Amino acid sequence: MVNFFKIEKDEEFVIKKRGEYLFFLDNFSGSLKVVLNHPESSAFIFGVYIGTTDNEFKLNTYQIHKIEKSFSNLLIKGVFFDKSRFFYKGLIRIEKGADKSHAYQKNQNLMLSNTCFVESNPYLEILANDVFCTHGATTSYLDKEQMFYLKTRGLNEKEATSLLVEGFLFDVFDQMERILGKNKTEPLYKETKEKLLLTLKSL
Amino acid sequence: MMNSKKLKFEYKYGFRVDHKPFYTTKPGISKKVVQEISWLKEEPKWMRDFRLKSYEIFKRKEMPGWGPDLSTIKFDEITYYIKPTEDRAKIWEELPPEIKKTYDLIGIPEAEKKFLAGVTAQFESEVVYESIRKDLEKQGVIFCDMDTAVRKYPEIVKEYFGKLVPPADNKFAALNSAVWSGGSFIYVPKGVKVNLPLQAYFRINAERMGQFERTLIIAEEGSYVHYVEGCTAPIYSTNSLHAAVVEIFVKKGARVRYTTIQNWSKNVFNLVTKRSKAEEEAIMEWVDCNIGSAVTMKYPSVLLVGKRARAETLSLAYSHGKQVQDSGAKMIHLAPETSSRVISKSVAGNGGRTSFRGLIQVARGAKNSSVYVSCDALLLDKKSRSDTYPTMKIFENSTQVQHEATVERIGEDKLFYFNCRGIKKEDAESLLVNGFIAPISKEIPLEYAIELNRLINLKMTGTVG
Repeated sequence: MVNFFKIEKDEEFVIKKRGEYLFFLDNFSGSLKVVLNHPESSAFIFGVYIGTTDNEFKLNTYQIHKIEKSFSNLLIKGVFFDKSRFFYKGLIRIEKGADKSHAYQKNQNLMLSNTCFVESNPYLEILANDVFCTHGATTSYLDKEQMFYLKTRGLNEKEATSLLVEGFLFDVFDQMERILGKNKTEPLYKETKEKLLLTLKSL
Repeated sequence: MMNSKKLKFEYKYGFRVDHKPFYTTKPGISKKVVQEISWLKEEPKWMRDFRLKSYEIFKRKEMPGWGPDLSTIKFDEITYYIKPTEDRAKIWEELPPEIKKTYDLIGIPEAEKKFLAGVTAQFESEVVYESIRKDLEKQGVIFCDMDTAVRKYPEIVKEYFGKLVPPADNKFAALNSAVWSGGSFIYVPKGVKVNLPLQAYFRINAERMGQFERTLIIAEEGSYVHYVEGCTAPIYSTNSLHAAVVEIFVKKGARVRYTTIQNWSKNVFNLVTKRSKAEEEAIMEWVDCNIGSAVTMKYPSVLLVGKRARAETLSLAYSHGKQVQDSGAKMIHLAPETSSRVISKSVAGNGGRTSFRGLIQVARGAKNSSVYVSCDALLLDKKSRSDTYPTMKIFENSTQVQHEATVERIGEDKLFYFNCRGIKKEDAESLLVNGFIAPISKEIPLEYAIELNRLINLKMTGTVG
């Protein structure tokens, strides 16, 4: 059984029981701290951000591994329109003795206007050596070749953008589904999709 | 963390020349000391004013509120200017056997060995490098120490000095601006390509590597120069603070490569500000290897101000024991179609600590720019620590920014493979570490790369401190 949490306010979780924990962030501003204190615990942090008008998001995440063999995976994806701004600061900290832990962190952003702004700070602090730890961050515009391909198939700019952005964000829900199951993931996906379509329509 | 007691240990393999200086200022810094330095150097008024202004800024500026602990630096106990004696010749045999051994193990040529140890009489090196100097002169290249440049080429120096790293940049840049001494000045005229890497020890009658060096490189349109700073041999310094400033101007279509191999003794705080400006289609490359010192804080940066400018930073850090290597890179994209690449490799062993700190900033209007950052850390044991602190600020949407980092250790499977082939564990570890840093060590001049590999082998086997 997966423990599911939708984060609405600043929270700190100290995981002392074995099991899988999934934290979902939807346009959430604030801080989420996950402390892994059980050797067979796994934490998944998934986030989707859609920024329009002058939205400003400030997100801080912490993945603190205090004990050996703990697992955490973070994936935050954001698409930003208009004058929206996104500030992300994420920290993976692996304490001394938390060997054989796995910690992953990925933040990917699409900038869809030339007035939006993205700041990404993916931090690592590793105090144990027998660990698997990677992080990555990318920020870019829609792939020109993909865009061109869709246009040759008769889609207009808006339709093509919509399809590509949806595909970009879908990745998060795809991964969530594998852990949470289809029933629980689908409503979240639908909600995001609706929001995205509404956003694209208003452009 | 670090306390002054720990820093006062006898540096085992470093070496100290008991030189009788010509002149030293009193320990501590004051307006008087700054004036005195300027007076001793017989500087023009503008430089004296620059120093005094910088001193005022230094007093005002706060210590950095982040990064390694610098609280043990005692500004009042440092001697800010030492005029070296004319007669520095010492006898090679007088050197402690350990340092001779280290030099031998690293395999430094005899002539350079003596120079590095400070035992060579000036005229000896003059003979060796005279022919190279003549070639440079013929091409119109100016290569001298900074003090000479202020005297002989005031127009050029005035135009560029302190323009990229203003005194108000940070506390240590302000300190350097107030009390700087020595360093290199290089001017490469339009279209001139300097084939041989220029090295600090080519400089004739220059002051020895000082603690407050000031380096200025100007590469005019379409020129090329490669400057190599430092050396793999351990450099002993009785002064616990090294605060240098390096400014590099890369004009249209020019290319500058700046290679640093830093191996200060383990009592030195190495706090360096390095910055360069790349104009249209220019290429700037930093190759930054940090092996020594107690604490290093150094983030070579490039301002990409011209269209299609390119920049690359290759950073290597090895920290061992109580060392802290806090290095990284900054890339500021201010023009369209600019690209930059940062490759960082760090190794921490025996409780060492390495940090990567980076800044990527893409300004609005820097269209179609691309950035790639990759940081790999290798942790040799459980006591060591590795941190990665990248910051990416993206104002332009038509850019590609990528950052990735990994942390690993020496895998059992790899060691096992070597074991099967009859290679001892220690040798296998050295091989793996050298393999890990290969993407960077192959970029530095061959003789240095060989020395670097040997030095790392020595460090790994615990032969040298």
